[in-house]
Amino acid sequence: MTAIRLDAVVRTFGSVRAVDAISATIAEGELFTLLGPSGCGKTTLLRMIAGFSDVESGSIWFGDQRIDQVPAHRRNVGMVFQSYAVFPNLTVEQNVAYGLRARRVSRRDIRDRVAEALALVQLPAHNTRWPHELSGGQLQRVAIARCLVIKPAVLLFDEPLSNLDAQLRMHMRVEIRRLQKSLGLTAIYVTHDQEEALAISDRIAVLRDGRIEQVGTPETIYRAPQTAFVAEFMGSTNIILGVAAGFDGSATTVAAGGAMFQVRGRAGAPGAKVLLSIRPETMRLAGCPDAGGPTLAVRLQLREFLGPLLRLHAALPDGTPIRVVTLGGQGAQPAADGTLNLIYDPGQIIAYPAP
Amino acid sequence: MTRPGSSGRFHGGISLLALAFLGLFLLYPLWFVLRSSVQDEAGAFTLAAYAQVLSSRYYVGSLGNSLAAGAMSMALASLIGVPLAFCLARLDVPGRPLLLALASVPIVLPSFVGAYALVLLFGHAGIVTAALRSMGIAAGSIYGMAGIVTVFTLTLYPYVLLPTLAGFRAVDASMEEAARNLGASRWHAFRTVLFPIVAPSVLAGALLVFIEALENFGVPAVLAEDRPFLALDIFKLFAGESDPNVAAAGALSVLLVGCTVVMLLLQRAYLAHRRFATNARRGAALIPVSRRWRLLATAFCWGVVLLSLLPFAAVVVISFQHFQGPVLSWQPGLGNYRNLLKGSYRPLANTLALASLAAVAATVLGAPVGYVLARQRSRVSAVLSIVATMPFAVSGTVLGIGLVIAFNDGWPVLTGGWLILVVAYVVRKLPLSVRSASAIVHQIDPALEEASISLGLSPTRTFLTLTVPLMLGGLAGGMVLVWVTATAEISSTIVLYSSRWTTMTVMMLQSLEGTAPGEAAAAASILILFTAAPLLLVYRLLRRQGGSLL
Ligand SMILES: Nc1ncnc2c1ncn2[C@@H]1O[C@H](COP(=O)(O)OP(=O)(O)OP(=O)(O)O)[C@@H](O)[C@H]1O
Ligand SMILES: [Mg+2]
Repeated sequence: MTAIRLDAVVRTFGSVRAVDAISATIAEGELFTLLGPSGCGKTTLLRMIAGFSDVESGSIWFGDQRIDQVPAHRRNVGMVFQSYAVFPNLTVEQNVAYGLRARRVSRRDIRDRVAEALALVQLPAHNTRWPHELSGGQLQRVAIARCLVIKPAVLLFDEPLSNLDAQLRMHMRVEIRRLQKSLGLTAIYVTHDQEEALAISDRIAVLRDGRIEQVGTPETIYRAPQTAFVAEFMGSTNIILGVAAGFDGSATTVAAGGAMFQVRGRAGAPGAKVLLSIRPETMRLAGCPDAGGPTLAVRLQLREFLGPLLRLHAALPDGTPIRVVTLGGQGAQPAADGTLNLIYDPGQIIAYPAP
Repeated sequence: MTRPGSSGRFHGGISLLALAFLGLFLLYPLWFVLRSSVQDEAGAFTLAAYAQVLSSRYYVGSLGNSLAAGAMSMALASLIGVPLAFCLARLDVPGRPLLLALASVPIVLPSFVGAYALVLLFGHAGIVTAALRSMGIAAGSIYGMAGIVTVFTLTLYPYVLLPTLAGFRAVDASMEEAARNLGASRWHAFRTVLFPIVAPSVLAGALLVFIEALENFGVPAVLAEDRPFLALDIFKLFAGESDPNVAAAGALSVLLVGCTVVMLLLQRAYLAHRRFATNARRGAALIPVSRRWRLLATAFCWGVVLLSLLPFAAVVVISFQHFQGPVLSWQPGLGNYRNLLKGSYRPLANTLALASLAAVAATVLGAPVGYVLARQRSRVSAVLSIVATMPFAVSGTVLGIGLVIAFNDGWPVLTGGWLILVVAYVVRKLPLSVRSASAIVHQIDPALEEASISLGLSPTRTFLTLTVPLMLGGLAGGMVLVWVTATAEISSTIVLYSSRWTTMTVMMLQSLEGTAPGEAAAAASILILFTAAPLLLVYRLLRRQGGSLL
């Protein structure tokens, strides 16, 4: 059990600031996720913590021990790689025993601890199979067991599930979470899949161009994104450019996409440019029994039937595209001219100052 | 992965060790060669040797001949290699795998044995010449430029063939299909898509042919007769019976190394900016052609490959025939071998021992260097990469001369012993083992090593306990390659050998001058056996490393 503290760590590659003065504190036993688009510096940051990438400035602490100058092999971190990195020349058992051998643990203890670790990841004990005989999911279990067995101070995951198929991915992330919680390990998890991040994390840090854009619990990040970037990255929200008009004491009127929107609170000074974030699932079709609130007329362009859900692609009066997601059962019949009336909740629209 | 305390120290240590070795046994000797060329007897600086060499019609001719032979061989090897590569990559030529295996054999066969085969068949007293003469037909001479260029072309064309073939195969089918889809004709697609992608490989290979031809000692030694050739004249000036002239030898050496270095730099500079599509997901499909074209392509491919191996086959066959003095009498027997080895088995044993030592040493040194070059990008590794390819550019004869001057007196004295031969072989073959080790390391996921390090093994222990076992299969391939080429080495051996450490190649060269063609043929056959057979044995292994043969 170790807390991790990052203090203004920097790493540049040529002119690219891959990690740009990131500071964060990860509590003991917490699963902390680094989330962000490709190239935002997630892997680089993780590798700095593991010791595979130089820290140019700043410091990294495990508890009260500063480790950024400690060589990688003395940091006692368990790292799970995207490619599994299971040693092809060793059997499953030998793979798991690898770190214990390095630590000169006695033969008997090695046997017991390996069996224990294999049981944790639900693989049979005394496993003398070769890696090439295993499936992707089994390989990932071996990789995890190999890390757990050395009782690491922290666990690091770099997109561990991206090589698995969708179903297995769902299953494995539940297992990883269960193991991490029951063992009380501090973990940093890298992914670019926002659903995975929401499902697995205690807290999420959304990264952009080497900087942390926002840190918070999955709910905060999803419901109260602090920037348009976070809002857009966390679930495909509609971002619409508009101009703020009057504020009537509880809501601001914003002209956007050729329509007028009601946004709760003061969205901006009159005449200020704003970005509105409207999540597709917060809008309803007019005519639904439980719906009430301001309405919006859009032109339906395409409907995608997704089983439980129905996704509508529509256009605002000036042609700006907008997406709406409703339950699949709702009939969405547009009027003869293709117009469809939507009802929205002013409290669900978030306005950001436009850059 | 450059931590100052761990991986960095490991990589730095290896780099420094390798640089120290090459510094001592490559750069230091070369420095002596350079120095000897610009000093007079009193040790004062002078360019007299260069003036002497460059004002002599003979030595200018020597430079011209060598450059001309290099250029012509380069052109001819490309003319053969490129169409051959295209046929093997894209046409349905029967027996392609076998063809390919056979086509890579000439690279390791000693080229001067090929030259000797030509002499044996078409020389003054050659078998074919004699037969033609008895029919009243006068055959042209194969001595001089024509014969030398023929041998270079037939033994060096794989240097063009192999990378070009890899290039053709690396072009993803979708790329060509895309071009065709956009309305390009097949020929247009070849000209605008395929050829530009393959051109760098062709040029890279062609320049290697030039370099190899320029610095080759054995072929002109057999075929030049009295015509001047650079590598030959350097040797004669340095070790000739009549008035040796070390300064002039040094000046010619500097000119030779200068030419090859320029070529190598050209090749590197050109390649650095042109690396296209090396990872084809789907190789391009065979092109359907009419029966006539297929027949033509088959005849061409098999024709070239068999023609290049024919002289060697002829030597082997002839070695089992009985000779009466210099005259062949078609009676099979082992007499030639008996006569050859009657003296002693010593040269054969020497060759095997020296080559084995060199192979092990080059691998032990080359594997970590190849590893560092594949894994690390830093200033030290950039220097290392250049220094480790330098032996390619340094003719064996020049290296030999440098080693003799550098280690003749003072400490350590190496001349006259076996160690200096092994050192020369290791230096000369190091690029081979480095390249083959790099090729293997490129196929090992770096995450494996990182996993091992994060599990608690230091980078050095990780290299020894994880990486080396993973590399082993491939290392064996590189080792055999070094062994085989060291067995066939002549250009530095001829400078460095002593009577106790005579090798098969030296013996072969000496018996050429004698009047016992049968024994020379037997010696040549033994060399062919010891080079071709191991190569074919590890051929599959080498193919998997993808062209590390070069
Ligand atoms: N070894 C390197 N040399 C040069 N640039 C690098 C190196 N490693 C990373 N970068 C650059 O640093 C930036 C961050 O890379 P990083 O691999 O950390 O991104 P990432 O968030 O993990 O992306 P992905 O989701 O694609 O894995 C990128 O712009 C990348 O090009
Ligand atoms: Mg990454």
